[in-house]
Amino acid sequence: MKTTIISILIFCAFALTAQNAREISHKYMNATEVGDMEMISTINIYDAKGNVRTRQISTASRKFSESTKMLIRFLAPADVKGTALLVYDYEDQDDSQWIYMPALRKVRRIVSTEKGKNFMGSEFTNADMSRPNQQDFDYQLIGETTLEGRKCWKIKATGKTDALKLQNGFSSNISYIDQQTFLCYKIEYFDMSDKLHRIQYITDYKKQTNGKYFAYRMTMQNVQNNRKSEMIVDKFQSGSKLPENTFSPAMIDKF
Amino acid sequence: MRRFAFLFTICLVFLNLSAQSLFQDAGKEAAAGEPQQPALKLNGFARGVVFGGGEKYELATTFAEVALQPQLRSHSAFLQADIRLRKGVFFDEDVQLIDFKELYAGYSSLKFDLLLGNQVVSWGRTDGFNPTDNITPKDYFLFTPDPDDQQLSNFLLRAKYRFTPAVELDVIGVPFYKPSVYKYDLFDMGANVSFAEQLLPEKKLKNSAVAARLNVDLPAAGWSLSYFRGYDPYHGFEVAAVDWSTGSPVITNRPASYLKTSWGADLAVPLGAVIVRAEGAYNITENPDAKMYIPMSDFSYVGALEANVGGLTVIAQYVGKYVPDFTSLVLPVLTDPLNPLAQMQYANAMIDYENRQFNRRIFHQQERTNHAVALSLTKSVGYDAWELMCTGYYDITSEEWMIQPKVTYKISDALTASLGGNYMHGPNKTLFGYASTIMNGAFISLKVSF
Repeated sequence: MKTTIISILIFCAFALTAQNAREISHKYMNATEVGDMEMISTINIYDAKGNVRTRQISTASRKFSESTKMLIRFLAPADVKGTALLVYDYEDQDDSQWIYMPALRKVRRIVSTEKGKNFMGSEFTNADMSRPNQQDFDYQLIGETTLEGRKCWKIKATGKTDALKLQNGFSSNISYIDQQTFLCYKIEYFDMSDKLHRIQYITDYKKQTNGKYFAYRMTMQNVQNNRKSEMIVDKFQSGSKLPENTFSPAMIDKF
Repeated sequence: MRRFAFLFTICLVFLNLSAQSLFQDAGKEAAAGEPQQPALKLNGFARGVVFGGGEKYELATTFAEVALQPQLRSHSAFLQADIRLRKGVFFDEDVQLIDFKELYAGYSSLKFDLLLGNQVVSWGRTDGFNPTDNITPKDYFLFTPDPDDQQLSNFLLRAKYRFTPAVELDVIGVPFYKPSVYKYDLFDMGANVSFAEQLLPEKKLKNSAVAARLNVDLPAAGWSLSYFRGYDPYHGFEVAAVDWSTGSPVITNRPASYLKTSWGADLAVPLGAVIVRAEGAYNITENPDAKMYIPMSDFSYVGALEANVGGLTVIAQYVGKYVPDFTSLVLPVLTDPLNPLAQMQYANAMIDYENRQFNRRIFHQQERTNHAVALSLTKSVGYDAWELMCTGYYDITSEEWMIQPKVTYKISDALTASLGGNYMHGPNKTLFGYASTIMNGAFISLKVSF
């Protein structure tokens, strides 16, 4: 009887912790949910020797009735300039994606099953470019710590299935979330062998007109090969008045 | 001159309209508060390309090229050009040229586009084999790592209207015919065979081409219906003359073009981690005089599967052609070997037979049903700095095959090196059999983009 009660208490404590962890993570997601937006950003990619390559992209994202539609246009370097990617992000089904490459002169529908693939040759992955689906992860509050003077929760998110882990390119991550603002300042990513793989530092949060926060600088450090990538937001506009036609495959080849 | 004045007039009419979005303004350098000026952007590349190692030419193609790709744009109006300055040696001939690969002006809004000038049009949802792609001619003998180099522009008027974000109608008029480039004169078809210049259709509107395509792109599937009526850039050839003055036949062939009507459709459907693509066209020709350069009406079709397996992009395609009214060619028989007149008739019949057979190979109409398969593998490694690609093709009907490996390395953001090769093989008297002596070899390219 005593054993059963202890087990129930342990289970309840675990469930409560998991629930708190999920809520904290949800509050972080909510605090940074900027909604419709347009931005121009630069990605600097440093190899282990410190050599740098630079990419620049413009991004527009708007939520329409059935999906959030995102258009990414590559501005630099010159050999990929004009390439554009269109993504329809659905809540309950696979994304629809199209790509336009000037060299092909065609808009091609593509299937991206590789969220874990490097984004434009950087340490960021395709998964890092979009908001995670909370239903795909189990959350656990694993402790508290102080990060640059901020008291933070350490929330561990583990992929629910091996397939999801493979798809996202990591088995779990630990987010450092400020207990006052619910903003995340650091994420540690662990590979499929549960070894620390990448560390993301998120800084330069700025409050937008809708009260939400947006990070203007993210740095991803690969601790296994000493490569580093930083994404700097050059210009940001909360909200977008681009009409739905702009987010159509027929329009993504427009320069 | 009037034509160019008209192009610029269209462009200038729409200048001084200002842009209104951070996304749309990306890449422009206007200071805050200043009125938006027409934006002139200049991109392009410079490169050197060497292709060689073949049986007939040690260095078939060596050239250096600068591509200047200016864009003048002010919101809805724009002018676009792709100007190539090329100097090199092509099949032992010195070539120095300025080529306006593209030069057109246009108006583009959310609902409507109007484009006029030299443009490249690429239709079809399958890869490399596109039965619905009838407008843009190709130069099949320009060897570079970039397949787009083979596309030759036409002067054309193009209008697009988007009924909804997902539904677009594309209408094209091509006033003057431009054929694809085959250099059959380079083939070793015997000392007694030569090729004359092609006689092009008269530059009259009755010989112009018209095409239309209704394209639909929905999240669940994309498809289109298309129509083409005009001279096919993918032409055949005829026997222009047979000279018997030396006692043995000296044959002069001449490229010849034909009219066709083509109804086409294509499709792309994502099914989980796979995309199914299909494309087909019913090509209708009229040939009451049994000209050898006019193919029989046929149904051309391609089915394809595309998947990404562990970072490897795999595209497998089946390429087929069905000729409903197929009739076999009858091999001539020498009925009276001792009769000089019969010998002459037999020789003429054999010349006709051989050349009809070769045209059928060009048009892939050797049997009532013709089959081929293609496989393309692509993988990026080293944080996208390296791209490894290999394409293979096998024509089941004619037993011709080809393989094209290619490695691309981005040395820096601006500098790209490519190394690859082309190997084709075919039985005697087939296209690949003839072409292999010229087109088998390796290439290297160094390209600086700006």
